[in-house]
Amino acid sequence: MADDEKTTDARPEHPTPLRGPDEGIPAHPKGKVPGVGADIAALATGLKTTLGEFFSPQVTLEYPEDKSPRSERYRGRHYLRRYENGLERCIGCELCAAACPVGCILVIAAENTEENRVSPGERYAKTYEINMLRCIFCGYCEDACPVQAIVLGPEYELSDTSREKFIYTKEKLLEPLPPDVQARLQSKAKET
Amino acid sequence: MVVKTLSPMAVQARADILEFELVNHPLDCPVCDKGGECPLQDFTFRHGYPTSRIDGPRLHFKKPIPLSENIALDRERCVLCYRCTRYYDEVAWEQELTVGQRGVQSFITSQFDQPLQSIFSGNIIDLCPVGALTSRVWRFESRPWDMTHTESICSKCAVGCNVNLWQRRGQLVRVTSRENDDIDEGWICDRGRFDYTDVNDPSRLRTPRINGAKATWADALATVSTGIKGKGAKLGISLPKDITNEEAFLFKRLLDGPLRGARVKMHGRTALPAPIAATLRIKDLDAARVIVIVASDTESDVPIVNLRIKKAASKRGARLIVIHPDGVDLDRDPNTIHIRNAPGSAAAEVRKLASHRLLKSAGGPIAILYGDGLGSEEMADLAKSCRDLADAVGGNVMPLYRATNERGAIEAGVAGWDPLDGIEALLSWGPPPTAGIPTSVKFMAAWDHLPRPENEKADVLLPATTFAQRQGSYTNLEGTVQFLRPPIEVVPPLKESWEVLVELGAALGLTLDYAGIFAIQRDAAAAIPALAALAQPPSPEPAPEPVLIGPAHP
Ligand code: SF4
Ligand code: SF4
Ligand code: SF4
Ligand code: SF4
Repeated sequence: MADDEKTTDARPEHPTPLRGPDEGIPAHPKGKVPGVGADIAALATGLKTTLGEFFSPQVTLEYPEDKSPRSERYRGRHYLRRYENGLERCIGCELCAAACPVGCILVIAAENTEENRVSPGERYAKTYEINMLRCIFCGYCEDACPVQAIVLGPEYELSDTSREKFIYTKEKLLEPLPPDVQARLQSKAKET
Repeated sequence: MVVKTLSPMAVQARADILEFELVNHPLDCPVCDKGGECPLQDFTFRHGYPTSRIDGPRLHFKKPIPLSENIALDRERCVLCYRCTRYYDEVAWEQELTVGQRGVQSFITSQFDQPLQSIFSGNIIDLCPVGALTSRVWRFESRPWDMTHTESICSKCAVGCNVNLWQRRGQLVRVTSRENDDIDEGWICDRGRFDYTDVNDPSRLRTPRINGAKATWADALATVSTGIKGKGAKLGISLPKDITNEEAFLFKRLLDGPLRGARVKMHGRTALPAPIAATLRIKDLDAARVIVIVASDTESDVPIVNLRIKKAASKRGARLIVIHPDGVDLDRDPNTIHIRNAPGSAAAEVRKLASHRLLKSAGGPIAILYGDGLGSEEMADLAKSCRDLADAVGGNVMPLYRATNERGAIEAGVAGWDPLDGIEALLSWGPPPTAGIPTSVKFMAAWDHLPRPENEKADVLLPATTFAQRQGSYTNLEGTVQFLRPPIEVVPPLKESWEVLVELGAALGLTLDYAGIFAIQRDAAAAIPALAALAQPPSPEPAPEPVLIGPAHP
């Protein structure tokens, strides 16, 4: 049995050793033993709570058929806005990328020319990417943007089949804004 | 005397001055390339008012205005400090940049709206305290906080100016000066500053090719070695001007071994011989009373030395004597004595100088700088005459090498000056030979970073690194050894040059047993006395950035 002993020794030590084979079962703590009456009372209290909840109004929703209302200021996926004349608002200043606490925005700027005018002024974002897997939806990018180009929309159901698809490119971000974001931005503009 | 910088009055005054500076400022920091490293932005943030009381109309100009191919001017952002025009006038001795109009209407303009021509123009970008002068070469490419930089050395000429190389996402996005008072005093020329876009060229070579087909390094180097082995004097080798000391050392081992007898031509090198005794340092020009410049147009040969000469003349009162067949830009000093010699006769003119009145009573150190007149002078004679003159009048000489690491390559013994005629095999490292590829060539191996028409005929094409990926050191024209620090990684299949040389050696049957650059540096330092400095490369730790302290808003 020498081999067996070796294997026992080689076993890693348990951080809180289990009770050894020769240790006895600890004695039951001393004190008053509760009677049957107390048990029935406890059962009744539990049933009362269950029945009470059964007849109270429902707070859960049958997601995804039913969805909870979101606050007007909810921060979900991003959008890049355009001006009414179709030019992009974003001027490629990278301030959003600088403000982002997780560094998930990549902006590479380029110069507007007469032939290729993307935004008003001198500069536009040639590349604009957000890594949605890293984003924590803090909204700092929206706060930092000097031209209110990047905004956070209401969608929170972001799921996809590969990591790459979570790198939102300019094409995806420039999709038309849902109407409730428009409403939120207008009310925000009124406040300030 | 007690100067109070934090009294309420001083704090208030600073804020008021800044408010005035911003009266006409467009406040377009988000699209300004200076944003993030702009002193005006920093000062306003730290000492200015958070809001402005100016609500009148601001002065508007057309913007941006191209001052030259490389520089854009934004007059709205200009704070009219006149640093740029003053630099142009006092340091560069050019009259191209000036101020138009008067008072509040003043604006910076180039003379007659002509594009700036000077080779020193790029320095105004660094000098401008705001974003009025910005580079058009890296326009909008990056924000300062996106880039990292390494402290490196310019690879374009033998002056060896210290530069910072800035990279973003594996691209070299800009080159700026890095002050070293012994060499460049914070200036660099436009070649060093703007001539880097080939590093990011998407058509850069990445894989070795044999007869146009992709190949492995092992196959390619085996083919090269079969093509060049045992050719003796029938093998011609063209070396790049920016070969590092380490590469030169390894290459010398090949030349002494399997490639014995090969004929070597180094790109851009002058005909100057190796210096025989200690030469003058660039910083010694400051103290010179008379500077003799022989057979060199310093403005194009050694631009930043040219600025030192100008400083010595205009700020320290040195007298200049120029021996050159044509007009040079040092003639702009009215006191310059310009001796126009017939090409090839510079040595004779130098001998005549020994009795020159200025040199006899110079009243201080004399500096004698000599070039090779772009190959027109008989160099051994000219070098000797300059050394003789220095001994006769009590001065020292400075040979003006042109190719980046010419002096290091001379010390290592690889800086050939061969016309490469009649060769049968050619190893063209770097750009192809300036005189063209000799028609007698039957086998050609090219080792270059760009595809070029001349290389299309090459039997083997090897991809090379650029100065932004290279480790190693250069010896500048005064003999100072300085280290390159690459900001960009060498991504396989690209290989570092020293590694390729080691493998080429193996293919040729010479064991160069090096696993890294430090071992090469140690051996080179031991073998070549002029490269002794290689034994202790300085620590790559950058100096800490200064921190601004003081109160913020009043
Ligand atoms: S919401 Fe926050 S984490 Fe997401 S991109 Fe914007 S700044 Fe970054
Ligand atoms: S989204 Fe706004 S902050 Fe971001 S780069 Fe564009 S303009 Fe600048
Ligand atoms: S250095 Fe810049 S701010 Fe100063 S005058 Fe020149 S352009 Fe204007
Ligand atoms: S003078 Fe020579 S070393 Fe200096 S920046 Fe110009 S090319 Fe580079």
